[in-house]
Amino acid sequence: MDVTEHIKPPRAVFLPFMMGHHFGVPFHTRLQREIILTALERIERAEESGDVFYFPKIWAQARKEGKEIESRLSANG
Amino acid sequence: MENFKETNQLRPGLWATVNERYPGAMITKSDFIPLAKLKKPLPESRLTFVSTAGVQPKNSLPFDTVHPVGDYTFRRVPSDSKPSDLEIHQLKYPTAGAKRDLNVIFPIERLQEFAKAKIIGGLTANFFSFIGYNMNAERLEQTLAEEIADAVEAEKPDAALLAPA
Repeated sequence: MDVTEHIKPPRAVFLPFMMGHHFGVPFHTRLQREIILTALERIERAEESGDVFYFPKIWAQARKEGKEIESRLSANG
Repeated sequence: MENFKETNQLRPGLWATVNERYPGAMITKSDFIPLAKLKKPLPESRLTFVSTAGVQPKNSLPFDTVHPVGDYTFRRVPSDSKPSDLEIHQLKYPTAGAKRDLNVIFPIERLQEFAKAKIIGGLTANFFSFIGYNMNAERLEQTLAEEIADAVEAEKPDAALLAPA
């Protein structure tokens, strides 16, 4: 978050996720879409430069959902 | 910032010390750039994507991931590529997730779906990628940043999604 603020973006979405996973976890397409949609929404909603939006999901939760999706995928072959 | 809580800060104060530890490594920016508004609705707007993930088409010149001060070049990534057409050349972030599903760092399939579903008007012919390890901030600002901005502008996007890795 400190890095995001430092670069003074016109608008940004901050994700408290592991490096290399800014759009979520493998095969969790719903989460990946949600993250992009949140970013696109800031294009229209941000009212002043420096808008940083905190994405409301923690890494542990994303990872857990990803694991569930992967076990379903492997169970279905 | 409408939904920020102090507890969300992962490394409070750490970033402020970067220039002390690595002199000149951090671009100092004291002003906010003016907020540009979309000129047309999203479903009519052409989107581009710029990433520091070091994603590049297979058979393009690999990024120099071991150079001590970094690689100041970028690659164009055709926006109609399949993940299997692409590879990652970057060592500075964990790629375990991206190697199984590239969309976690370079969501090319999700953006293609958004264009098809007309959530966005379309995609520029190319996306852009470079590596985030560049220790000379001035050189980065004067070369790579300028060159990539010109290349992006030439594709006439209405909006750009930028993502670090």
